[in-house]
Amino acid sequence: MTLELSKLTDQVQAMGKELAARRHKYEQMVQLARRWLEQYADRGEQLRQPAYAVRAAIPTTEPLNFQGPLPPAPDRFTIIAADGSQIQPDRHGAILYYLINIGSLVYRHGSGEAPLAQSEPILGYAEEELYEDGLLLSGNLLDLRRDIAELTRLAELCTSESHRPVVALVDGTLLLWVLEERSEEWQRSQVMRYLDQLQRIQESGAVIAAFASRPRRSEVSRLLHLASVDGDAQRALREPNPLEHLPDRAIFETLPPGARSALFVSPALINHNFYRPLGQTVHFFYLNLAVAEERPVIARIEVPAWVAARADQLALVQAAIVAQARITGDYPYALARADELAFISAPEREALEEMITTSLMRTGIVVTPSPKAYYKTLTRSGRRRYGR
Amino acid sequence: MRNLNLRVGRVLRASTRGFTIGCAVMQPDIPAFGSFVRADGTAPRSAIYGLIYDVSVEDDPFVRQFISANPPEEVVRDQRENRQVPIEVSVLAVGCADGEHIRHCLPAQPPVTLDWLYQCDEAEVRAFTARFDYFRLVLEAREAPADELLAASLRFAAAARPEEERERFLIGAGRELSRLLSGDPLRLEGLLRRLRNP
Repeated sequence: MTLELSKLTDQVQAMGKELAARRHKYEQMVQLARRWLEQYADRGEQLRQPAYAVRAAIPTTEPLNFQGPLPPAPDRFTIIAADGSQIQPDRHGAILYYLINIGSLVYRHGSGEAPLAQSEPILGYAEEELYEDGLLLSGNLLDLRRDIAELTRLAELCTSESHRPVVALVDGTLLLWVLEERSEEWQRSQVMRYLDQLQRIQESGAVIAAFASRPRRSEVSRLLHLASVDGDAQRALREPNPLEHLPDRAIFETLPPGARSALFVSPALINHNFYRPLGQTVHFFYLNLAVAEERPVIARIEVPAWVAARADQLALVQAAIVAQARITGDYPYALARADELAFISAPEREALEEMITTSLMRTGIVVTPSPKAYYKTLTRSGRRRYGR
Repeated sequence: MRNLNLRVGRVLRASTRGFTIGCAVMQPDIPAFGSFVRADGTAPRSAIYGLIYDVSVEDDPFVRQFISANPPEEVVRDQRENRQVPIEVSVLAVGCADGEHIRHCLPAQPPVTLDWLYQCDEAEVRAFTARFDYFRLVLEAREAPADELLAASLRFAAAARPEEERERFLIGAGRELSRLLSGDPLRLEGLLRRLRNP
């Protein structure tokens, strides 16, 4: 082993002490945040404008401390989840290619039927697929392509699904992450591809939500700090925030089982610049998935404006997600399965590489990895130490 | 003619002595222990024949989560019908073919990963078991329960023949076993008993 664990003993012990000390401070922050949530519950309207300036959660018309009880789920409804994974192009590999694999599950609650499970692999190997504006499609660029592929798959499935009502579900966020250093025109073109699919889902009559497990965002914490300085954005930016880095989910652990928090609007720049003009403004709320007498499990749920605007659709999203999460305990079953269907394991990747290599050999082409990749396979495949 | 409906699964790992394939849960045609199967060889029109000697269901933590719960019917059916729970089927290589002729020997090269494995149809089983040279490969196999496997394969081979030919076929097989195991009467007796009383 190169990682000599014995040399980490002192550092790991120090880390444990630091975390214990931080725990106490954390609990005080949570108490303060909950007190402020009650104290400033009706200041939403006053805070709406400055909230955007400090990148805090933007209040809607609901009081900040609103708690929406768990609505009854329809006897029958359909959850469609999609998730993706990818193999990055490897410059040192034998062949340059990428793979995106989209897993999806169509789960019809109350039907007694086996869900429809599918995975769709997309192999990119042609020059025009591998490069975009002269850049190799890897890293964040490939993530972006995968996100769009996920939503496209969801839109296709929502359009063809006949068992209504339908709730489409993605993992994480509806806010597409685009490279800010790229031109606005490029960003717009990417976001528009994504928003086109959101619109297809809207037109299909389905609703859509994004589910984030153990969310770490602090947008409501920032809003409460803003409220504590009378909504003065300049002061909020200048003065230290006693709730700094406190994840919102800690504030909402008091939600009753199945209940949701107030709705907020995401302060993300992309939401304001691209989503809002097309009526797709991303809203979010926190939701306690746990059953009574269990420890709270808080998830962050994002929905577009057209879902947030209708109480019946919002209730459907809330009830459907809780019903799904309670199958496993704390995470939507359909998302867990979509992830499983999308996942590319190391042996599968090796098998694919072997399949590609064999296929090329059958056409008379012999390919080899770079010397660097070759020696990595030797040094990383397990070592034996002789002598001391 | 190969019948694609009789696909068992794809090759996961392979050697010249045998190979392992993965397949989905509840696949109705998962062949039983002792069945004859075939994979494509690396050369065009070549094939590798084998006998299934083990079917194992790998551990699955996701399913374990539902053991003590009361999952909805949709989940039960999803787990049974859709999940890619790793079922591994191990195959002992017992022969190969170059397009026309079947030979009872180990293949020169193993099948390629992700190639399909097919269950042999009755005609193929009859053609393969027209001779008994593969017995030695099975009897000498260390990785498989050899005697059980050979007896099971002979029962499949007999069943692939018209009823009036079955007894003659099994008597012929018994004679070949008597010759091969003449130095080990106890083993021979056990094997013949397995053939008579499945």
